[in-house]
Parts: sequence; C-alpha cells; structure tokens
Amino acid sequence: MRNFTVISRAVVVVAVFSTNFIPALRADTNEDIQALRAQIQQLDQQLRILERKQEIKDEESAAAAKAAPKIAITDKSFTFASGDGADSVRIGGLVQLDSRLFFNDGGGVLNNTFVLRRARPIVDGTFDKIYSFQFVSEFGGTSTPSILDANFGVGLSDALQFKFGKFKTPVGLEWLQSDSWTFFDERSLVTDLMGNRDLGIQASGKFDGGVVTYAAGIFNGVPDSTNSSNADFDNDKDVIGRLYLQPFKNDQASVLQGLAFGVGSSLGREKGALAVTSGYKTDGQQTFFKYRSTVVGDGQVWRVSPQAEYRNGPFGAIAEYVVSTVNVRPAAGKPKARLENKAWELSAGYVLTGENSSYTGVVPNHSFNWQNGTWGAWEVAVRYADLKIDPKAFPTFADPTINADEARSTGLGLNWYLSKTVKTTFDVYDTRFSNLVPVSATQILRQDEKAFITRFQISF
Amino acid sequence: MKTLLRLSFLASFLLSLVPLAVPAHAQKTIELLNVSYDPTRELYQDYNAAFARYWKAKTGDDVVIKQSHGGSGKQARSVIDGLPADVVTLALAADVDALASVAKLIPADWQKRLPENSAPYTSTIVLLVRKGNPKGIKDWDDLIRPGVSVITPNPKTSGGARWNYLAAWGYALKKFNGDEAKAKEFIGALYRNVPVLDSGARGSTTTFVQRGIGDVLISWENEAFLALKESGGDQFAIVVPSLSILAEPTVAWVDKVVDRKGTKAVAKAYLEYLYSDEGQDIAGKNFYRPRSAQAAAKYAAQFPQIKLITIDDVFGGWTKAQKAHFADGGVFDQIYLPH
Repeated sequence: MRNFTVISRAVVVVAVFSTNFIPALRADTNEDIQALRAQIQQLDQQLRILERKQEIKDEESAAAAKAAPKIAITDKSFTFASGDGADSVRIGGLVQLDSRLFFNDGGGVLNNTFVLRRARPIVDGTFDKIYSFQFVSEFGGTSTPSILDANFGVGLSDALQFKFGKFKTPVGLEWLQSDSWTFFDERSLVTDLMGNRDLGIQASGKFDGGVVTYAAGIFNGVPDSTNSSNADFDNDKDVIGRLYLQPFKNDQASVLQGLAFGVGSSLGREKGALAVTSGYKTDGQQTFFKYRSTVVGDGQVWRVSPQAEYRNGPFGAIAEYVVSTVNVRPAAGKPKARLENKAWELSAGYVLTGENSSYTGVVPNHSFNWQNGTWGAWEVAVRYADLKIDPKAFPTFADPTINADEARSTGLGLNWYLSKTVKTTFDVYDTRFSNLVPVSATQILRQDEKAFITRFQISF
Repeated sequence: MKTLLRLSFLASFLLSLVPLAVPAHAQKTIELLNVSYDPTRELYQDYNAAFARYWKAKTGDDVVIKQSHGGSGKQARSVIDGLPADVVTLALAADVDALASVAKLIPADWQKRLPENSAPYTSTIVLLVRKGNPKGIKDWDDLIRPGVSVITPNPKTSGGARWNYLAAWGYALKKFNGDEAKAKEFIGALYRNVPVLDSGARGSTTTFVQRGIGDVLISWENEAFLALKESGGDQFAIVVPSLSILAEPTVAWVDKVVDRKGTKAVAKAYLEYLYSDEGQDIAGKNFYRPRSAQAAAKYAAQFPQIKLITIDDVFGGWTKAQKAHFADGGVFDQIYLPH
C-alpha cells in the first residue's frame, strides 16, 4: 500500500512536472539552440573575416613583392632588377692570374713570371627593356688602366639592334668569343690580324632564333691587334660586317645542329704612323713581328675572315682564316707597298666529364667540392695556328734580324671548370718561327718558343 | 685567290646589310596596354577581341591588347609611377584627372577628346543580398542597423568604393535634408558595419560571393548582375535602393606613352570604337548601361529604373568630392577606424 502511495505520488509529480515544466524546458532549449546557432554563425563569420583579411594581406604582400626591386645573387652573377625586370644592372668581373714558364730560352730573356693578365670590373644592364649599356675597364696587363668597353644599345627587336660606343669589332669568330671561355688561355695567331675594340655604330640582329645573325657598322678603324685609343687618327672610317649562319640550329635531331659558318670582313682607309700594328704576339705574349718605327700607313686596309664552328655534345671545334691587307710606306713620302698577312687556325676541345662544349663556356654538372667529392668539368683542347708575314715586308718595312716571317703554333690544353665562374687552365705551346736571316742573339726568336702557361680565373 | 677573297668580302658585307634594307614585317603587330579598374575584366575580354578584328580588317595590322586590372585609384597610381599604359579605362574621372594633374601624362582637358565626357558607358550602385534576403535589406537605412555586415571596398584605392560611398552619402543628405553632420554620422555607422575593406570591387565581390562573408554587398550594377549570372541566379538577389548615383567610368589614351611608343593612332581608335554600335552592344551585354540610344533601347529591360543623383549636382564634381571625402584627412579618414 505504502508502495502504491509512493508510486502514485511520483506519478502525480511527474504528471504535474510534465504538464507545467516540459513545455517551458522545450521553449528554453529552442531558444538556446537558436542562440547557439546565431553564435556559431557569428563565430563562422568572424573566422571567415579573419581568413579573408589574411588572404588580402597575403595578396598585398605578393603584389608588393612582385613590384619590389629584385636582387639576384647567384653562382653566376650579381643582378639588381626592377620588379618587372625592365630595368636591371649586373655587376660582373674578370680576374685572370697567369703563370708563364718558358723552356729552352737560354735564360737570357727574363720572361718567366706571374702576370695579372686581366682584371676587369664589368657593369652592364638595361633600361626599359630596350636600352642597354656596358662598361668594362681593364686594370690588368702591362699597360695603364683603360676603358675596354663603354657602349649603349637600343634593341628594337631581335632582328634589329643598334650599338653605339666602344666595343669589339665584328670580324673574328675567336675574337668575338668571351676572353673567359676560349679553348686556350690565349687566342690564336689568327686574332693577331684582327682589329680589336673600336669606336663606332653597329646594327646587328638575328633571324629565326639565331639561324642567321648579322652585324654591320661604321668604325674609326684600328690596326691589327690594336684597341682604339678612344680617338681616330685620320679622317677615314672602316666599314665592318659579319654574317654568320647556323642552318641546322632548330633541327634538334640533326648531328649538324651545332654547325655554324660565316664570314667577317672590314674595309677602310688608314693613314699615319698609328695606322700600323704595334706588333704580332705569340701565345706566350712575346712579340715576334713588328714594322720598323718609321713605317706609316697610307691607303686601303681590308680584312676578310671565313670561319666555322661545330659543337656536338662534349666536342667542339672552330676553324678560322684571315687575310689582313695594309698599304704602307717605309716612311712618309717613300714609295707605297701593299702587304698581305695571313693566318689560320684550327682548334678543338672535348669535355671529358660529358658536359656540353659551348661558345659561352662549359657549365659543370657538379661544381668542384672537396667534401662532396665532386670535381667540376674537365676539358682537353688542341690547336694549330699559323701566321705568315707578307715576304714583301722584309727588309724595307721590317727588320729581318729581329722579326720572324712566319710563326706556327701548336697548343695542348687542359681546362678545369671548377664551377660556372672559376676555371683553371694548363696550356703547353710550341711555337716555331721561320726567319729569313739569323736573328740577333738577344731576340726571343733565336729559338722556338716553348711555354707552359697556367691560368687561374674567376669570371662572373 | 685575291679576286676570290675580295668577292667574298664584298658579298659578306652586302649580305650583312640586307636585313637593314628589308622591312622586318610588312604587317605590324601592335601591342597596347589597357590599365583598367577591377570589374571590367569580362567587358574588355570581349571588347578587345572585337577591336582586334575591326583593326585587322581596317588596316591589316594585328593588335594585341594586354589588360591590367585593380582598384581604380591604385591603377592610376601605377600609371603615374611608370606603368606604360597606352590607354586607361578607369572607374571615375578623378583617377584619370590624376594622370594630368600629378604626372602630366595627359592634357588637363582630356575629357573633351571623346564623346560623353569620355565616358562611353555608365553604371550605378546597387545592393546585392543573399538568397531570401535574410536580413530584410531594402534600402540604405538597413545598412546601418546593428548586426548587418556590409561588404564594400576601400575608397582610398577603389573607384567603385568611392561611388558606393557617395551614393550612400547622397541618400543620407536627402534623408536629413542636407544636414552634412547627420550624413557623416550615417556614413560612419555604415562603415562600422564593414568588416573587411578590399582594395578593389572585384575583391569585395570575392569576399561576399565566394568567401561567404557579409549580409550585403554594395556593388557596381554590372558586377551584381555578373554575380547573379555566375551563381546561376538563385544564390543572390539584387536590391535596388531608393536612390543611387550615376557612375561614369572614363577612358583616355595616355599621350606621353603613346607618343613614345608610336601607338597613338591605334590607342585613339581603340577608345573611339567603344562608342561604335559593336562597342556599345558589348557594353550592354556585359551589364554596363550603353550611351547610344540604339543599344540602350536594346538592353533597357535588363536595367532597373533607379532615381540617380550625379556627382556634379550633389558634390560639385569629382575634384571637390575627392578633396572633401577621400583626400588624406578627409571625411572618410575621420569616420573609418579599421576593425
């Protein structure tokens, strides 16, 4: 009974509670749910807002970074550029320290030496993508510091670009290659017969991605193996041009893809003592021919140089021939003669470590690193070159007792590319001279030149 | 041998000169850069293709038009800072004016060079709300209610944002019978409801449409129509306020740039063609209100009737409006505190 009462009361309590409180509880729960839902929505919005603000901040940072000037310091160069790349400045340099060692020269000639062959700060760049400039000065060598290149360009298109100022004249294949990346540390005898840097205006360009390249310009005119002294020495100008073809350049599958050939030439008139070369040099940079000091130029000068190049994987070769003609007088007012000096060379290289041979330098697959056991790239090179002086030069225009009438040079080289910028070369040269009469005992030409030249180079 | 050498010399030199003598291309490819404001991407995508066809047929030359989009004020700043725009198609005359007054890139009277004050199409400002309009937004008053989240871009960088601001200000002025202090309070309350300020109108559309933030987007009419179209038409709704503003985006060729690049003729033709039948039709198709009677009639049905104020009538022109409201220390700087 008592249990019945308890149960009954409980039923009543539950009934009363259900009747009076559950609806209220249900109403409270609905309100809570609504409130919670609103709270969640509010939190969701706040979270989305925070995310969006971060997104906007990231976009602004990315846009600012894109527009901000860029500094690129790589293993090849230092470059400062505007955000859009239209304006840039590249700071580069070239330092070459040579060790020259001569054999069998009797010890009478003091020529074994270390030489700071080249020491060049290089600054170049572009403005507004169209305008370019280059400034190169030379602090190395044996002469006083000088300005090598100082020029600016206007690039209208790939097919038409103009260059104004002082720069390399467009004739020789080997001459136009960078000093840093030739097969040998010194250019061949062929380059003795090329004019070097000159002041002028040049148009150049390329078609079909470089299948055809050309350059043509008007220059003050410089004698063989001579840089301009920044002023002309007569009123006449030289017209200089070069046409270079790589007919298979775009044919990836062809073994002839790396074949190129062309011809460079110059034509002008020169007059005066400064119109004749100051001398032709061997691989060891010793002068083996120069005109008598009284000789003056007077008349037409011209050069023509057919040239060819072939690159295929690690193999590369260049061949070049040049005829350089001058009209000279033994002294002012004396009878004039036309002299033709000729030279040719054939050189080849093979990269033992498999990287591609290139006109612009071998890039090692793995730079030298002692800890990692990587050794950079190694290349062997061989060269033969010959320079023949016009026999009419002797004895009126050049002294046969102190000059050779021909030099034939054989070179063997080993190039070690430690990285993209650092290179060491080990070159052996054997240059044989032909003399019309026995040369003076004090001259280097009394015997052939046997030289071992080692170079330590950084170029960036 | 000597003869051979001389002949080869002559041949090589003459060959070297050949490229100088022969024109590089008989037909030219001309490149233009159109620096525009944020929501015109679709308009100029269509228009550029049409103009290229027109120009090719007329002259035989190819013309390639590159686009740059962003907040109108920001874009004007970029051109002043050196972005080589052949033409600018900006959200408002004040931004184009800056090219003349700040950088002297164009003459001061640039607006007189093309019809309709160099505004080939117009638009206005509307309100875009979410499906079902859950916050019951009907007019500008609803945007200052507590708990209503309003999305609009930054008037400092966006031309559209300045139109938004001035439309709301114009409404408040009318509501408070020209009481500027009350209008300022109204605008202050509105911007207190703005949680995010994008730099351009397209950014604000992204915030509202794609990121799901806010209850209402103050938007270019064309941008609102585009959002409706791209969402399938059932995710959002356009609320037409009782009063809005006549927005006149303006265009100009940039004299200093086109003179330097030699592109003046094509740049001028590019802008003039906006007034052609085809240009006006493309504007209408992209939800801009065309100027020509023919195109306006064709697209009249898609545009709601709105009572519009003008910048000249209510604010005395862009120069005054810019100085009073958006210059450093102006009204906007006084009422807006970043959240």
